[in-house]
Amino acid sequence: MKGEMAEGKVKEVTLPVAGMSCAACVNKVEKALEGLKGVASARVNLAAAKAGVEYDPAACSLADMEEAIAGVGYEVPWDRIELLVLGMMGSHCQQNIERAVGALDGVSKVQVNLGTDTVTVDYTASLISAAQIKKTIRDLGYEVSDKAEGEASLDRERRARQQEVRRQLVNLLIAAPLGLLVMAGTFRDYWVLDKFIPSFLANKYVLWALATPVVLGPGRQFFVNSFNGLRRGVTDMNLLYATGIGAAYFIAVINTFWPNAGFGGEKATFYESAALLTTFIVLGRYLEAVTRGRTSEAIRKLMKLQPKRARILRDGQEVEIPADEVQADDILVVRPGESIPVDGVVSEGYSAVDESMITGESLPVEKKAGDEVIGGTLNRTGAFRFRATRVGKETALAQIIKLVENAQATKAPIQRLSDTVASHFILGVHMLALGVFLFWFFGGFNWWFDPNSRFILSPSELSGLKVFGFSLLLSVTVLVISCPCAVGLATPSAIMAGSGLGAQNGILFKGADAMEATAKLQTVIFDKTGTLTKGEPSVTEVVSLDGRQDDVLRLAAIAEKNSEHPLGEAIVRAARERGLAVPDAEEFAAIPGHGVEARRNGNLILLGNRRLMAERQVALGPLLAEAERLEQDGKTAMFVAAGDQAIGVVAVADTLKESSARAVEELHRLGLEVAMITGDNQRTAQAIARQVGIDRVLAEVLPQDKAAEVRKLQEQGRRVAMVGDGINDAPALAQADVGLAIGSGTDVAKETGHVILVKDDLLDVVGAIQIARFTMRKVRQNLAWAFGYNTAAIPLGAGILYPFFAQVVSPELAAFLMAISSLSVTLNAMSMRGFRPSIRRGGRLAQAARQEATGIGRPLEEVR
Amino acid sequence: MDEQRARYIGALIYTAFSLLGALAFLAATTLRGDYDWTARLGGAGWVFLLLMIILMPTVTPWVKKRLGGRQG
Repeated sequence: MKGEMAEGKVKEVTLPVAGMSCAACVNKVEKALEGLKGVASARVNLAAAKAGVEYDPAACSLADMEEAIAGVGYEVPWDRIELLVLGMMGSHCQQNIERAVGALDGVSKVQVNLGTDTVTVDYTASLISAAQIKKTIRDLGYEVSDKAEGEASLDRERRARQQEVRRQLVNLLIAAPLGLLVMAGTFRDYWVLDKFIPSFLANKYVLWALATPVVLGPGRQFFVNSFNGLRRGVTDMNLLYATGIGAAYFIAVINTFWPNAGFGGEKATFYESAALLTTFIVLGRYLEAVTRGRTSEAIRKLMKLQPKRARILRDGQEVEIPADEVQADDILVVRPGESIPVDGVVSEGYSAVDESMITGESLPVEKKAGDEVIGGTLNRTGAFRFRATRVGKETALAQIIKLVENAQATKAPIQRLSDTVASHFILGVHMLALGVFLFWFFGGFNWWFDPNSRFILSPSELSGLKVFGFSLLLSVTVLVISCPCAVGLATPSAIMAGSGLGAQNGILFKGADAMEATAKLQTVIFDKTGTLTKGEPSVTEVVSLDGRQDDVLRLAAIAEKNSEHPLGEAIVRAARERGLAVPDAEEFAAIPGHGVEARRNGNLILLGNRRLMAERQVALGPLLAEAERLEQDGKTAMFVAAGDQAIGVVAVADTLKESSARAVEELHRLGLEVAMITGDNQRTAQAIARQVGIDRVLAEVLPQDKAAEVRKLQEQGRRVAMVGDGINDAPALAQADVGLAIGSGTDVAKETGHVILVKDDLLDVVGAIQIARFTMRKVRQNLAWAFGYNTAAIPLGAGILYPFFAQVVSPELAAFLMAISSLSVTLNAMSMRGFRPSIRRGGRLAQAARQEATGIGRPLEEVR
Repeated sequence: MDEQRARYIGALIYTAFSLLGALAFLAATTLRGDYDWTARLGGAGWVFLLLMIILMPTVTPWVKKRLGGRQG
């Protein structure tokens, strides 16, 4: 199919899919979508209830996809917006709107109601925003406003989930009491139960009357869904349930109305099996529906951050409008305690903003004119005005949500294995059920059957059963007990929780594969400039022969004042930070490759290297040794001379970030090798590496060769991460097993890395690895439990204990075990919510440790 | 049209094989053991049902692929 599509025409869309309950459902939906002409690939995430589809819009529409999904028994709960549209005069207006909006990418259905002036649009927020739809209608000349509060995708998703919860709850409320009555009636003759249970309940016709509504009511969904699947040649868990429930009910009905037909007689009415089997399966579905939504709580929290209203300045007046209608360059007003509606740059005012929800940074960030603000963050103290720079789908928050949603719709390599197993499992289980039936029918029953034998944890005897009834019973139990629901949920539920956890900490994994790869890393390479270091030189030491460092720095600053060289700018900045006056020089001359010379009040000032000093015959004396010491530490030493007298040395270096040393230390603690890559010479690079404790230095590497260096390490069999600037280091980030783009700020979408770190904090590299490892640990636990359950349960269901203990698992116990298995996996994923990476747990203590750990970059006053 | 044809041919194949399996079961119970007719017919019915479930999703895509391949 891929080959049929012209390159560049392929689009991606994420569709919500409701009603999936297992890995086989995933397989069913994927097959249905991939069977459509124009669809290149489809990947479905069970836990997220989303399908990511690559398709050619010219060959396949969203309606086609919806039809295919509905065809295999599932629903697409579209995002929906209801608009009040004024100015529609008749059917031509209706047609205009339907045509214009219907032609938009991402719109599935448009309904215009002229009577109520309402336009209802079904769309997918992954392709188009509500604001774009409104703008399209407004451009046609109509007045548009929200009919009700706009239904965000969050609301739709939540409603779909609530509907499922409600549906299964109603099913449960029907099945559970009736099932219990059936059970009470069936076991009335045991123990002292006959004293409490009225005799009519044990009547087989009453049992039939009680069990039938359970099978045909709450149990109906399994028959309908499995039939829909079978029609298209696909199978799922529903088939296992339908065969199990159907077989038990069918035999019970025959034994009720035709007791002499030889199916076990009156004593072998399996009504309690059929009713309780249905009840436990419905209970499992209900618990799953309730808990599954909670694994994606993090993304819901992000969605909730999107402010609904904004206050903008129009003609000097403050006007309140819906946040999604803010345009770029609008001036917005934010008061204390309000959320910032969109991304922008502060133009006026001062405040502290809580950005923890986006960056994970717990302390409020000060904002003044010229600073960037992020939409969705909370203004704490002051009022300010800002100019909108990114609106609608372009805001950092919208990009982050999209990124996390996409990540949650991807599959980790480890999941492909479980999905393959789960999708072939259903057929395998039916084959096994057939084998078990034939074994007990032709051999096992004759060899071992004991009429006094019982079901495990049940007083019910098997005495009424004959060869067919007994073999069928075990065959049905195998079908029910083998359900691989837990296998299907094991990976996606943990990955969803993990990617949400990352997003809360400002760490965005671009896919499940990125998370798995991050967990397996062995080496982390940091780009030096701008990643380990601040990327701009600053004065680190001032040496004076007579102890008057300020004079040395002041003269150096005067000489460099007119220079545009980065080293000169660093000197002038340092002098100003110290409060030194830096007057203009009367004369200034740059001497290429040597330094500068300037004249102030007629006095000559020289600032430069040894060659400059040698040419001007300035004796350096003890300053030479100082300069060599500084250069050993990777700093650039510049001599300062007043006239022909050397008076001091100014050392300039690119300083380390506060968190570099601690990040390296934490990575070592996690057992990782840490390397640094730089274009600097060996000596400078080694000096920096020594200060932060880096193991391996890749020096004198040209920017274009960084990717090759990463490849060399990979060829040594190491799994390598590259940490760098997402734009300049893009090739190396792409080459690495995991590329971590650091400090993207609000520009998440432009980044090329596999993992995006919103903040410019190296400790987030550690956080990313910790979250990834924690998530993969949960995935492994889940898989071990799920596969372990099936491995242990299937032989039990097939009757392996029967020859030794004369006991078998009843179908209802099998259903109960199956429900518990799925639930335990989901609960395990939910338990991830409380996890905080260790670097975030330290709070202020950790910050203090960070500052302590780096000697370099301390204020000038503390130096010498 | 091809889709329909594939489904039709597939249905013929899996129904035929399932019936054959059920008949084989009946034959086996007649030739061996002392089974009553309920067990024989009930068992044959269960075998037929399970075989249909196993063969339906296996045969249908296989036939579709074969027909598609021949055309291509």
